[in-house]
Amino acid sequence: MKVKVDKTLVASIALHVLVLGWGLVTFSSRAFVPAEESLPIDIISTDQLAQMMSGQKTGDKKEPKPKVEKIAEAKPEEDAVGKVTEKKELIKTNSTPEPPPKPVEKPVEKKPEPPKPVAEAKPKEEPKPPEKKPDPAKEDPIAELQKKLETKKPPPKPEQKVAAVQPQQQPKPKERSFDPAQIQRDLDKRAATRHELAGSTLNASASLGSTIGTAANNVATWRGAFQGAVKRCFTPTYNGQDADQYEADIDIPMKIDGSLASEPVVVAVRGPSRSIAQAVAESAKRAIVQCQVYSFLPKQQYESWKLIPMTFGLKDML
Amino acid sequence: MNRRRFMTLTGSTLAMLGGGQAFAQQPQGRLRIDPTEFRPIPIAITNFVPGSPADGDVGNGVTQVITNNLKRSGLFAPVDQAAFIERISNIDVAPQFENWKTLNAQALVTGRMTRQPDGRLKAEFRLWDVVTGQQLAGQQYFTSPEYWRRIAHIISDQIYEKLTGEKGYFDSRVVFVDESGPKERRVKRLAMMDQDGANVRYLTRGADLVLTPRFSPNSQEITYMEFGQGDPKVYLFNIETGQREIVGNFPGMTFAPRFSPDGQRVIMSLQQGGNSNLFVMDLRSRSTTRLTDTPAIDTSPSYSPDGTRICFESDRGGRSQIYVMAAGGGAAQRISFSKDDTNATYSTPVWSPRGDYIAFTRQGGGQFSIGVMKPDGSGERLLTSGFHNEGPTFSPNGRVLMFFRDPGGSGGPSLFSVDISGRNELKVPTPGFASDPAWSPLLSSTQGG
Repeated sequence: MKVKVDKTLVASIALHVLVLGWGLVTFSSRAFVPAEESLPIDIISTDQLAQMMSGQKTGDKKEPKPKVEKIAEAKPEEDAVGKVTEKKELIKTNSTPEPPPKPVEKPVEKKPEPPKPVAEAKPKEEPKPPEKKPDPAKEDPIAELQKKLETKKPPPKPEQKVAAVQPQQQPKPKERSFDPAQIQRDLDKRAATRHELAGSTLNASASLGSTIGTAANNVATWRGAFQGAVKRCFTPTYNGQDADQYEADIDIPMKIDGSLASEPVVVAVRGPSRSIAQAVAESAKRAIVQCQVYSFLPKQQYESWKLIPMTFGLKDML
Repeated sequence: MNRRRFMTLTGSTLAMLGGGQAFAQQPQGRLRIDPTEFRPIPIAITNFVPGSPADGDVGNGVTQVITNNLKRSGLFAPVDQAAFIERISNIDVAPQFENWKTLNAQALVTGRMTRQPDGRLKAEFRLWDVVTGQQLAGQQYFTSPEYWRRIAHIISDQIYEKLTGEKGYFDSRVVFVDESGPKERRVKRLAMMDQDGANVRYLTRGADLVLTPRFSPNSQEITYMEFGQGDPKVYLFNIETGQREIVGNFPGMTFAPRFSPDGQRVIMSLQQGGNSNLFVMDLRSRSTTRLTDTPAIDTSPSYSPDGTRICFESDRGGRSQIYVMAAGGGAAQRISFSKDDTNATYSTPVWSPRGDYIAFTRQGGGQFSIGVMKPDGSGERLLTSGFHNEGPTFSPNGRVLMFFRDPGGSGGPSLFSVDISGRNELKVPTPGFASDPAWSPLLSSTQGG
């Protein structure tokens, strides 16, 4: 009997053997790489960082310097309160210039209608005639036209009350010295500004007492790190329904090198069962001793952590 | 201590009065640590030193049992002996703690087993705090050589209690229904073993079907239900003598018995027509008191540890739910309410020995779950779910639950244990299939040892 050998099958087997053999050699030759031990870190928010880095309002103003905001020739500034802006050209807006032409056009149309308002307006314009008196020509057509134009303003009065208020507010002397720049200044409602304070070197902050910020003496930094370090070794076991009632207050005397100055002192224990509360305290003491030395504690602030009072609880155990 | 605290407080007060800057640099109260995750205590358990070369095996055996107990509790992480630097040869000399600190062990156990001239075994042990270098416990026991395992359990309990503050549960037994044979002709025998699965003893021959065995508070008696020739009856079985007797002689079926915490009464269900009600029988006077009288099925009663209340299951509301009422009867309050599945049913309630939880079996969503809830019904927590989980029983300290799980198919049920937090689920070794476990109280406390 003739046995038929499938060539593709043979090829397939040969390939599989090759691949498996290669895999065995390659994978077995890989050295064991021990896992790196992770470093504990605390994640803080941007707000917390900003808080840490900001100056202190109550900080001592050491080395008081004149404030400098721009490198330039020193120039005395009278008003140091106003907002600093660069010099800008005033921009005319569409809203303010428009109203003036309107009253000019309207009176022209209404000229013949109101004869009385002209008479009423006369007493108000009394100061004007003296100015014009020196002018010899009453007959001057331009002056007459100007007079007429001025007398045309009253007609809108009876129409709107708001319009009636405006003439009273406008003092007449202003009308006489017509200065468009002054009008613009009057209309400009922006806050007062000043130029940058110039000097040879920049000096950013003068408003807060300290330019260093609170990062170095931020209490939360070492406190959080210390909590995290002790927590790593704290292994309480109780998880009953009343776990949140168990607490142990422990005072930790510290040396400046971050090691314990003496054994931690159990100040108080609380909880329904004394034996469990005592076990919590003992577990906490073991954690404190086992996890020393706390060398990360800032030496310049030793006074603040010379004696660290801590409370160990179980409220999150379940 | 008080003086130190007073000075700290005084200092803080003066700083507050002294000015804003001084106040800002003062620590704001006590630092607080509340661990959110559970981690076992690293512990090193050395081989017990043999008093003579002949005691070597028993010394190693005791070490093995202690290590196994503490490891299975889930609260301890025994350090691998292969990593030990120091070899303990004399337990009367303080160990070199630096050698154990490098292993990150927080506690160290040393011991010695010595056979006495009178044939008894002397067991000594010391528990050391590696971090502070203090001895936390030191005891010695004398026993017959065959009870060396029990000594190991007692030492385990001592270590457990010293380091956790809670009573241990290792020196205890479990009674259960041993199942053997094919599924359609299953033989069910009453069996008893140590809590770790050792020392299995069969209490019945398997001629009759047995169910729901429960220990008496002194661990000397077991009450259970047996299907005999007539109606199923509740029996009382004496472990020492092997004698048994019927609890009460009622016309109908009696089932689901359980002892009161003082061991003077047995509470059970009595079938009357299509209903069943709860009755309690005084074991001395043999007088019976009816506790419920409803046209429903009231069963699986369990006393609170102080004996003032009872939890039980009842279908008086349409479906099987858990109710709580006074031990003398009266109005019952339903405590089981499923939030996500209104069709879920609750059964086999058991009150924890420490009184804080009631364990139950919950059936819903096509699964059987074991869970716990507070006696007022709040804080329900499912610990495990699956095809079939049933019959929870508490360890003597109320920390661990044992239950049985049937995977379905041609297999059979097995015993499992789980911490009441839902961690550390473990299979309990049994010779064959096993169901309906009941944990005994702590033997050393009931026997004055």
